[in-house]
Amino acid sequence: MRYNLMLAWHGLKRFPRSTVLAVVTVAMGLAATMTTLALLHQLTADPLPGRSSHLYLAWVDTVRAKPTQNQSLNGITVDQRHRIKLRDAEELLHDHRATWQAPMASVFTQFKSDGDKPRKGSDYLLATTSEFLPMLGVSLRSGRSWTPAEDQAHAPVVVIDSEMAVSLYGTTDVLGREFHLGHGVFRIIGVSAPFAPQPHFYDLASFTFGNLRRDQAFVPLRSLLDAGVDLAGDDGCDVDSPKPKTLFTSDPMYCASVSYWVDLPDRAKASDFLAYLQRYLDNQQALVGAGHARPAQLTRVDAWLSQQNVVPDNVRLNAWLAGSFLLLCMANVAGLLAARFLRRSAEIGIRRALGAPQRAIFQQHVFEAAMICLLGGFLALPLTLFGLWTLRLQDSGFTDLATLDPAMFGALFALAFAVGIITGWLPAWRASRIEPGLQVKSA
Amino acid sequence: MSLGIMFKILRRHALMPALVLFQTALACAILCNVLFLVWQRVQPMVAPSGVAEDELVLIDQMASHVRPWTAAEVRAGELALSHVPGVRSASAALGLPMIGTTIVDYTLQSPHGAKVGVNGYFGVGLVHTLGVDLVAGRDFLPEEYRDFGVSEHSSSLPATSTAEPLIITQSLARQLFGNQPAVGKIVDVPDEPDGHGYMVVGVVRHLMRNQLTLATDGRADDTVLTAKRIGDTSMLSFAVRIDPAMREVALRGIRATIKSQFGDQLVQDFPVKISTYAERRHDALASARAALWLFAGVTLAVIVVTAIGIMGLTGFWVQRRTRHIGIQRALGARRSQVLRYFMLENLLVAGGGVVIGMALAYVANGMLMHYYELPHLPWNYLPIGGALVLLLGQLAVLGPAMRAAEVPPVVATRAV
Repeated sequence: MRYNLMLAWHGLKRFPRSTVLAVVTVAMGLAATMTTLALLHQLTADPLPGRSSHLYLAWVDTVRAKPTQNQSLNGITVDQRHRIKLRDAEELLHDHRATWQAPMASVFTQFKSDGDKPRKGSDYLLATTSEFLPMLGVSLRSGRSWTPAEDQAHAPVVVIDSEMAVSLYGTTDVLGREFHLGHGVFRIIGVSAPFAPQPHFYDLASFTFGNLRRDQAFVPLRSLLDAGVDLAGDDGCDVDSPKPKTLFTSDPMYCASVSYWVDLPDRAKASDFLAYLQRYLDNQQALVGAGHARPAQLTRVDAWLSQQNVVPDNVRLNAWLAGSFLLLCMANVAGLLAARFLRRSAEIGIRRALGAPQRAIFQQHVFEAAMICLLGGFLALPLTLFGLWTLRLQDSGFTDLATLDPAMFGALFALAFAVGIITGWLPAWRASRIEPGLQVKSA
Repeated sequence: MSLGIMFKILRRHALMPALVLFQTALACAILCNVLFLVWQRVQPMVAPSGVAEDELVLIDQMASHVRPWTAAEVRAGELALSHVPGVRSASAALGLPMIGTTIVDYTLQSPHGAKVGVNGYFGVGLVHTLGVDLVAGRDFLPEEYRDFGVSEHSSSLPATSTAEPLIITQSLARQLFGNQPAVGKIVDVPDEPDGHGYMVVGVVRHLMRNQLTLATDGRADDTVLTAKRIGDTSMLSFAVRIDPAMREVALRGIRATIKSQFGDQLVQDFPVKISTYAERRHDALASARAALWLFAGVTLAVIVVTAIGIMGLTGFWVQRRTRHIGIQRALGARRSQVLRYFMLENLLVAGGGVVIGMALAYVANGMLMHYYELPHLPWNYLPIGGALVLLLGQLAVLGPAMRAAEVPPVVATRAV
């Protein structure tokens, strides 16, 4: 085998021009494939490893509304219901049937710091209840989170993340400072590490991917509403709800505008919880005669993400395109290899005549192919990094995630090796079939 | 030499032709699909906008977080903007060309049941402000406009019991009513069960929709104008038509007016976007342009790789048969005949590949269509892609074939 490896190495150096051509071709195919796959890998990665497998979105449809059309001819989906009314959220919170649970909604709003010359800003922050931070594992740099009692009391407290603290107050030492939101004054009781799971799975309605956008602060939901900040967007309102103040805000008492996530340790608990949700829905007297009986739903993070189709179609499409391009490159290299192996027919004949088995010839040539493709893999690495860099230059909201992590780095070489073996198979087999006698005679 | 013998030779040494066949099939399948995707992206770029592109300034992202803008404030803003030096007219609008962030979505249904999904633009005097070309019927009358806002009861007009007026494009008129004149016809909107439908009062030549991803396959002009006046709203936008000779003056005036009229209520960190139509178009088509560059790269790479592959394989193929060629030449074959032989052989092999490739392209498109939102690959892309690959094959084989034609007859007498 070592002898075959050596022969393969010598073979490479024999026709440097065609070797370079093959290496470059393989590198192009590999780089195109790995660029698209790396992006796809980042976009389909688990948003919260270790936690997302027991996080579920709970949904009960208690909105009394006229049925609406599901999909317009322009491809705008109206029916993406996943949020519930605040009233239901509070009932569910009160029953407390899951390990952790919290209603939540991302809100884009204005805020300012304290002092005579307050710094202003506007960005996303998350309106939720006390259990959100432990449930999703948001780590605190200092201070504390708020308690269920503070939720009950509508306490004006807030947890902001360290980057916001620096940009707004110039320091992360901000515990006890004032934070102005709407017409309310909130006290900072905790500073968290920036929390930006990719995608922003717990509230996809406000944004999905991107390192630039994240929920920069966490506020008790009821206190935020008390301060006059409206939640944005809803999945439908009761027919008898009052007119909204603006087109883009909604009244959470009448409109389904909060996502309700729960943490359930195993599948048995999950099915118990679903049964409980359904019982809760069945007991809603107000719904009698409203005419719709959509069952309660409990959706785990992975199912939720695939159901919401968060990965842009373009990214998958490009991966297919790159994959077929790689196949073309492989066919090309297989041709180049076949040509160079058959050029050597005479030597192969001699080697066979001297007693080398077909297997050895086959091995030698598959090795040669694998070496070419591994070299292609090395060349593909800078090309892939270049491709990812050009992807990051495009501003499509998710492209800043285009990076090569160690797993994909390994995958690149694994792919290069596999491509080498597959590509080399047919030409090497053809080379090993060469009749020794005929070649020796004609040479 | 007859085709039969050619086939026999190809069959005897099947590996080389098989690899060429495989490559051309793949190249053909990829190129057909890429060409199709390219055309999908190019169509919104080449579709006529129908508006006075040089004279249009668009203003949007006017967000107020304190309270919604009132109808009176909107009117005052409109009036102030139209008095700016260099401005010909200004309209508060909902839904504007090349701005995809606010979309008005309608489904229109003709009396025969034909349904079309369209985008709508609302606003007083948009026909004039956008500069669209009215080819039949009339513009809306001033008394026809009804307020459209968050609280529609603010409308001063009683709800009409008749059909609302509507202006459509020529393309829509054809789709909805065929060759009959559209003016005076009624269209239904199935989403508005309480409404009385819309009566077409005017037809414009072109008006491009603002859902650019749908501006393909003859749908670019699926746009309507309705007689709605912007009432109270939290997100405000304006279309302003200026005198192109006074663009700088007008832009400066517009910025100042927006600031003085709305400044104290605007959300600070959410800047108002004031830009010309050309700038908006550039931004709106940025992702399509990026995709085009990508596809251009893929096409180029596919062409280069396939050409190199065919050249390499045929070169080797020619070299192997140097002696045969020599014998043929010694037996009286002309150079041109040898050349033609190799060209024809490539045509045969690549032709087989192209047939397989076209089938493959069709199957691949079907699969992609099943999983992703992708339109059907029309039949006519297949022969285009196929012809391209055949041409590529012929060009690639030219070099090796010419080398083959140069083989002197004397080679036949030598041992190789």
